[in-house]
Amino acid sequence: MRNLASLVFAGGLVFLLLALGAQLALGTPPMRVGSEILAVAPQEVGAANIVTAVLLGYRGFDTLGELAILFAAATAAGVVLGRRRAADVRRDPPGGEVLRTGADLLFPLLLVVGFYVIAHGHLTPGGGFQGGVILAAAFFTAILAQPARHLSHALIAWIEGLAGAAFILIGLWALLEDGHFLAPLLGQGVMGELISAGTLPFLSLAIGLKVGAELAGIMAHLSDAEAPDA
Amino acid sequence: MIPDLQLSTLWAASPANLVLPVVLPLLAAFLMQPLARVAVPLARLLGPLVLLLSAAITLNLWLQLGATPFSLTIGGFASPLGILFHADGVAFLFALAVPVFALLFWPGTASGGGDDRDQGARRDALTLLLVAATTGLALSGDLFNLYVFYELAAVASFGLVALSDTGRAQIATFRYLMVSAFGSVLILVGIAIVYLQTGTLSLAQIALLAPETLHNPIGLAAFALMLIGFGVKAELFPVNTWVPEVYAGAPARVAALLAGLVSKLAVLIIIRLLVLAFPQPEMAQIMLVLGLLGILTGELAAWRAKDFPRMLAFSSIGQLGLIFIAFSLGGELGLLAGLALALHHLVIKSALFGLAVRWRGSIEALAGAARSSPLAGALFVLFALSLVGIPPLPGFWAKLLVLIGLAETGGALALTVLLLILLATAVEASYLFRIAIRLYQDVPTPVAPHGRRDLGAAALLGCVLLAATLGMQPVADRLGDLAEQLNDRTRYIETVFPLHLAVKD
Repeated sequence: MRNLASLVFAGGLVFLLLALGAQLALGTPPMRVGSEILAVAPQEVGAANIVTAVLLGYRGFDTLGELAILFAAATAAGVVLGRRRAADVRRDPPGGEVLRTGADLLFPLLLVVGFYVIAHGHLTPGGGFQGGVILAAAFFTAILAQPARHLSHALIAWIEGLAGAAFILIGLWALLEDGHFLAPLLGQGVMGELISAGTLPFLSLAIGLKVGAELAGIMAHLSDAEAPDA
Repeated sequence: MIPDLQLSTLWAASPANLVLPVVLPLLAAFLMQPLARVAVPLARLLGPLVLLLSAAITLNLWLQLGATPFSLTIGGFASPLGILFHADGVAFLFALAVPVFALLFWPGTASGGGDDRDQGARRDALTLLLVAATTGLALSGDLFNLYVFYELAAVASFGLVALSDTGRAQIATFRYLMVSAFGSVLILVGIAIVYLQTGTLSLAQIALLAPETLHNPIGLAAFALMLIGFGVKAELFPVNTWVPEVYAGAPARVAALLAGLVSKLAVLIIIRLLVLAFPQPEMAQIMLVLGLLGILTGELAAWRAKDFPRMLAFSSIGQLGLIFIAFSLGGELGLLAGLALALHHLVIKSALFGLAVRWRGSIEALAGAARSSPLAGALFVLFALSLVGIPPLPGFWAKLLVLIGLAETGGALALTVLLLILLATAVEASYLFRIAIRLYQDVPTPVAPHGRRDLGAAALLGCVLLAATLGMQPVADRLGDLAEQLNDRTRYIETVFPLHLAVKD
């Protein structure tokens, strides 16, 4: 009965959304904000990647909020998973020679790719969030191949905290210098060069480190809190 | 370039500093866990200190600049390209209420996590995130930015609810997470529709474009989606199924923050949307019907509830239903009634959950509790009287305004609603007085008296209530001004776009 009700409800909702979709002018949206940003962003922000100009420039405050959401999720996961101490947990056996060697080889490669994606966020597709996930993946493979390996919670907490603080401090610096929180500083440089677009690359780096540390931290908690065979 | 920095400018009454009450708690939350590894006592103090600072900054700005509404751009990009904060009286009022209530109900060691260094730091960090998010909800003037802060408040509250280390609380958190996620999807679809219709996310520009683009069935659907979505935190019927379990399972102070603060901020977003972009009668009618269902189901369920926090949770659903009915009346009278009810509920429900820190568990077991702590008993009676609406307490005037509004609207629906509200009030009176009588029963079983802090917070809020009773006229005048400002769509648009210069069509 309950399943039937859920089914009817879901069906109704889908029908409503489809009916809505039929009414909407999909494909030809009014480009009020969009076209204006396309026109002025290269001069105002100086990032070759317009998506990053929106993400860290025009809507940088939203990005700070999203960073905080991810942080809140990681912290909440820590609340749920962090009760059991690492010592009394029986860990999975190591993944074997092949996996371990593969993970060891991948580790530096993933770090380089991660930092590359972060550092070029204002030039090419990518940036802090994407690069941060790749950094975290470097630690994922290491832990999965050798579950006995232990990630230092203290180190993760420090990177996480300082990277987040750096993002906000850059914003506060702009508030003092320019009068606007998170306004781009340091001049724009030559568009397309690695050192350009003012403070945007630094914001990217802060995001990348924070996202990487958070995801690695969740992974570390999961591997510490793995339930022993009941 | 660094030496000429003047840190004192952060204290100056510049509109740009209004971001600080949002940003400083975020900064403190990020640094909480590393700091707790170095110096635990310092980390314990950091949260309350930052809240004090935020409250002081907000109050300072309100006193210096609050006379006329103003807006500020973030990052120096003018709206609609960038994000903006819009600060009017209501925004300042709630932005100030957030740190003050968070200080009163700071979930210290009483709320799970105990003295464990890491869990304590996580608890404090999550509370600070909740504070930053709710302050942002009060101030932001950008639809997507509101969604981001709403989501931050949601995720932070999941963690805070999960602090109670019981299986029941964990299951409640999971249900809360599911309902919230469903609501978030609906909000996102609603925002997408609004963006597709108007091409902008700035509330002021949406308000400007709404007459041509949103006053149609598509706009109605967008509003309905956002109403249900934001309604999850505002305990709107029918997306409030998470409420009783979460409030009964969560640490009582966390429940005080969720029922008191977070629900009010969610209501505020809905009201802003209603006033600015969707002022059609159909929208108000949906709110009226959902609010009515909320008050009926909430009060009846509260009447049957067997334990104290659960009773508070159900009655909270009922009172938020009444708040929705008040706002659905529209016009200055409706907004005044809604604001008055919302503030009244903020004060009373927070305080009652503060009392629930010790009065957990079944109502039966509370027999004679007022004898072991007379002040708590007296406070409960005072709050109960005001909730029911006994003159001259503020609750009476707030309820009266709603009834007057309904009577003025006339028509079969409004009069039915009026009758049902009176009926719900009778139910409310019956269960609240039943508990009051039980509290004063002459039974030898002693109930543990309250800690000084929770009782102090409740007593302080009781004093606020009594002060409002004595100064009813000035309070009503101030609220009237706020309601007028909240209702003034043109002024909102002109605050953001002076002379409409920045708007191109």
